[in-house]
This record gives sequence, structure tokens and C-alpha cells, in this order.
Amino acid sequence: MFAIRPVVANATTRSVGCQHRNYATLKEIQLRLKSVRSIAKITKSMKMIASTKMTRAQKTMEIARTFGSTQTALFTNADTKPTEEGTTLIITVSSDRGLCGGIHSSVSKASRKHVQEKPNSQVVVLGDKAKAQLSRTIRNNIRLSFNQIGKATPTYTEACAIADTILNEKIEFDQAIIVYNYFKSVISYEADTIPVFSESTFSKSGNFDAYEVEDDVLENLHEFALANSIYWGLAEGHASEMASKRSAMENATKNAGEMIDKLTLTYNRGRQAVITSELIDIITGASAI
Amino acid sequence: MSFAWKAAGISYLKYTQICARAVRNALKEEQRLIAQRRDEQGLKFAKWESGKQGELKPIDSAMGNVSV
Repeated sequence: MFAIRPVVANATTRSVGCQHRNYATLKEIQLRLKSVRSIAKITKSMKMIASTKMTRAQKTMEIARTFGSTQTALFTNADTKPTEEGTTLIITVSSDRGLCGGIHSSVSKASRKHVQEKPNSQVVVLGDKAKAQLSRTIRNNIRLSFNQIGKATPTYTEACAIADTILNEKIEFDQAIIVYNYFKSVISYEADTIPVFSESTFSKSGNFDAYEVEDDVLENLHEFALANSIYWGLAEGHASEMASKRSAMENATKNAGEMIDKLTLTYNRGRQAVITSELIDIITGASAI
Repeated sequence: MSFAWKAAGISYLKYTQICARAVRNALKEEQRLIAQRRDEQGLKFAKWESGKQGELKPIDSAMGNVSV
């Protein structure tokens, strides 16, 4: 009897200690499971919203592409070339929203590369996320920043407002480069540029004599070219952002699902261990009586 | 060939926006409501001086931004 009791006592204290640890762990796992499940629900609904926004954005983008590419076709056919010593304005198209993958970094990296090639370029940033990234490295080049961008599919009105504000600021440039994310497919995008040339650069084009132009019209063309190209950049950027957000949320939901599976297994194992140790207690306790 | 709106101090973009607004307001009820949604913009902008951001101001779509 004396030999048995210490063994019982040891077993009890050990299993009581294990019991406490398991219960605490079980509760933690339960809490974690609850929070991961709610996060999975949120990311799943974000993915649904992003995919509906993406289909709408793609339609706008197709239209903007036809308008924008006729604009660039004009410059290509006129054989307009930027001058080496000309000033450049870089317009970075981004948005205010996060949780959309590497959209903002891609466009910020491309803008930074352009500024490295031409250190006295001026930069206009559209969207708070790119503004945050660019203000870390090239804040002295920034002239204007816009926000409230990316809330809805971009309209030509917005593009006109942006172009008008830029022109009103009297920022001189020979060439403007619009840096945006080109929508390659639902799962991929790439940073690309659209050039917009000033009146003087355009009138020095190689093939300028092929066009009948009255001088007064060149200023209007310049304004329209800027607004048109900004609209194209905004539309493509928005479509790329929605596609990237959709795939980012899809990955997040998948990862959350995997975490839920792993946690459920751990929880069940822990629960079974608690039941087993309780059974052992009961059995050893009963055998001591 | 001088343009009347240029002489009045309005840019080409502002001129086309005003004309577009006039056309939208002239549409019939149903189409007008859909078209007027395209006329809204709530953008804000800020001027930057030597690495410092200025105050955020909304873009006034009525008469455009006259630089102060």
C-alpha cells in the first residue's frame, strides 16, 4: 500500500500538471481557430468583391485602350522623339488601397528607375500608397500628389481633372511619362509607360509635315493627349489592381484554410490526450481504492 | 484662329468638360441619372515644396484650379 500510494501521487501530480497545460493550450487553440475562421471568411468575401470589380474594370480598360492607343499611334506615326536634354515629368499611377499584392511596389520601382536615369525629373503621384513609397526615396522630386483614387472604376472626368490641375501648376516638361501597371492577364501585370510629348517636342517630330496643323490647335492636342493618356493609365492600373487583389485574397483564403486544418488536428489531438489522461486518472484512482 | 474660351481663360479640357456637362444635363431623366454619375469626381491634391507636402485641397470641377 505504501509502495502504491507514492506512485499514485506522482501519477496524479504529473497528470494534473499535464491537464492544466492541455486545458490552457486547448483554449488557446480554440481562440486561434475562431479568429482564423473569421479571417478566412473576410478574405473570401474580399476575393468575391475584387473579382466582380475586376470584370467591370476590364470592360472600362478595353475602351480606354482603344482611345489611348490611337493617341500613342499619333506620336508613333509622327515619329516624335524625346530630346536628350529635355525635361521629363513622371506621372505615377497607383491607388489608395492596400491588400492588393505588389501593385504599388511595381510602379514605385519603375518610377524610381526613371528618376535615377534623369535625376532632375519632376514627379506627380496619383494614390497614397505610391506616395508613401516614393516619399521615402525621391521626395525632393515630387511636385504634386493626388488621393481618393481607386475607389471606383476611373472616369474620364477624373483624368481631365488631374490633367487640368497639372497644367494649371505650370509644370514645364518636354516629355511626360505615365508609369502604370499594364494588365497582361488575370494573374499577371507589368509596369509600363505611356509617353506624352509637349507642343514644342511634337512640332519638331520627324514626320510633322505629313499633318496639316494650325498652330493654335497644338496646345489643345497637348492637353487632350495628357488627359487621354492619364485615363488609359488609370483604367489599366485599376484593372491590374483588382486582379492582383483577387489573387492575393485567394492565396490568403487558401493559407487560412490550411491553418484551420492544422489547428483542428492539433486541437483534436490535444482533446484526445486530455480524455486519455482523465481516463488514466480514473482507472488508477479506482484501482487504488 | 483664336478660341473664345481660350480668350476667356478656360483651358481646352475645362471647355470640353463644361460642354459634356451641358449635354448630360440635356438628356432625358433615366439616361441623365446614369450619365451624371460619370460627372462626379472627389479627388484631392496637394502641392509639394522641396520634399514637404502642402495642404490637401479638393479639385474644384466648376471653374478649375487657378494656381494661387
